[in-house]
Amino acid sequence: MRKTGPVVFGFLVGMLMLIQYFTPNPWIQARYNNVLDWKQVVFGITLMLGVLSLVLFHWRKIEQRQKGWGYSVITIAGLIFMIAAAVWRGQNAGPYLWMFDHVQSPMQSTMFALLAFYVASASYRAFRARGFHAALLLTAGVIVMLGRVPLGEMLGFHAGERYYSLATISDWVLNYPNVAAKRGVLIGVQLGIVATAIKIILGIERTYLGKGA
Amino acid sequence: MRARPDTRGRAGRRPFYDLLMNVDRRVIFLVIAAAVALPLVFPLHLPVQISPEARAYFDEIERLQPGDQIILSFDYEPDTMAELDPMSYATLRHAFRKRLSVIALTTYAGGPGIALRVLGETAAEFGQQYGTDYVFLGYNPDYSATILRMGESIQATFPTDHFGTPADSLALLQGIDRYADIELLVSISASALTEYWIIWAGGNYGQRIIAGNSAIQAVLIYPYYDSRQLSGFLGGLKGAAEYEKLIEHEGAGLRGMDAQSMAHLLIVCFIVLGNVGLVMQKLRARGDAAGRAGSAG
Repeated sequence: MRKTGPVVFGFLVGMLMLIQYFTPNPWIQARYNNVLDWKQVVFGITLMLGVLSLVLFHWRKIEQRQKGWGYSVITIAGLIFMIAAAVWRGQNAGPYLWMFDHVQSPMQSTMFALLAFYVASASYRAFRARGFHAALLLTAGVIVMLGRVPLGEMLGFHAGERYYSLATISDWVLNYPNVAAKRGVLIGVQLGIVATAIKIILGIERTYLGKGA
Repeated sequence: MRARPDTRGRAGRRPFYDLLMNVDRRVIFLVIAAAVALPLVFPLHLPVQISPEARAYFDEIERLQPGDQIILSFDYEPDTMAELDPMSYATLRHAFRKRLSVIALTTYAGGPGIALRVLGETAAEFGQQYGTDYVFLGYNPDYSATILRMGESIQATFPTDHFGTPADSLALLQGIDRYADIELLVSISASALTEYWIIWAGGNYGQRIIAGNSAIQAVLIYPYYDSRQLSGFLGGLKGAAEYEKLIEHEGAGLRGMDAQSMAHLLIVCFIVLGNVGLVMQKLRARGDAAGRAGSAG
């Protein structure tokens, strides 16, 4: 029963979600809406679990004075401060918004901006034409990199009445080889999702029930 | 740290190809910093051409009539705001200029702060009133349930707006409750959220969608534009610049184009430098091998 109950429940809910797509029946649509509402509640609870897990992890590090425990103190202090600030003055004013605008936003932006420097350094070291495939990747990368900025639109030539620039070639790379590859991946992924969903509904795939299922 | 192989010649000097192939990364960082900073101080005003995708994005908003409803979803957090904020500002400027009604929301927990700032600044610029010209529904946990539930009832998905005002008391939302009541949905995103809007709101409910994406994400959504599941999109800062040019309002997108051009050009120069070094190294190795074979013979 410990295994059969969840599998039967999974089958019923899976079939409900499948059938609702094909029928306007009000009762089924109402149950579908219930499931969507519950899903949001469950997601909210998982967020709380995440916070709890984060606190426990860092608390243990502090308690055992593990390496870098000082950072854990800052993490927990930051968490408590932001929650207290939001409870005290709300999310739209006061210290919570100030911290978001003047600490979180600049820090996250800075971290992302640093990528430009690492990408530059990594591209220089990695893009070496050591073979045919590497040369192909290198060529496509250079074309798209220059073709996606105004400079690439200026680098080109006239053939008759038409003007071919790096941007033209970049658009071709993005619209044809890129679309073909991405579409192939998408179709493969979607077929995989359908197959997995059927296996879960029929109780063939049970790993979601945990170990020993 | 792995030790670099000693490539010095007999005279103790590093061969030229080795210098080309192993430029110190601090030099690269400095050059890139200069390439980004200088054009921002001394603009080059490189011409920006409009791509068909950006033109389609513009046309989708341009064809709407005053009073038409659009949903603007801020699907990003502060990490990508340098690239995506220009799109949000330009979209809102275009929408408010055309007197469209904007229903804004976010699918990210870090999104409300960004949305409040962008909405507040652009609404003040155009004298738009909260509740009648635009509303902000805020953040709802779980994007998949949110997108699907909005197709059944927007007001059931967001019973209150971000400030706690009941949704049914907001003038703008009177008679507006499903995707069928919305003319256009705009997703500004640096993640797969645009794809989810297309699959769930577009696929299930037939919602017309346009998107603004980070340059990395834009590459992945070409198939949806190709199949017309996505009616138009802006790709990266270049897309934002193109759109700013179309709405005739210079913003951070157009201002950033020179810096981005220079940075891309320098990265390509470094890549070429490394490959020239590689070719020289191969030629040298081939020459050495031929020399050894000759002396052995």
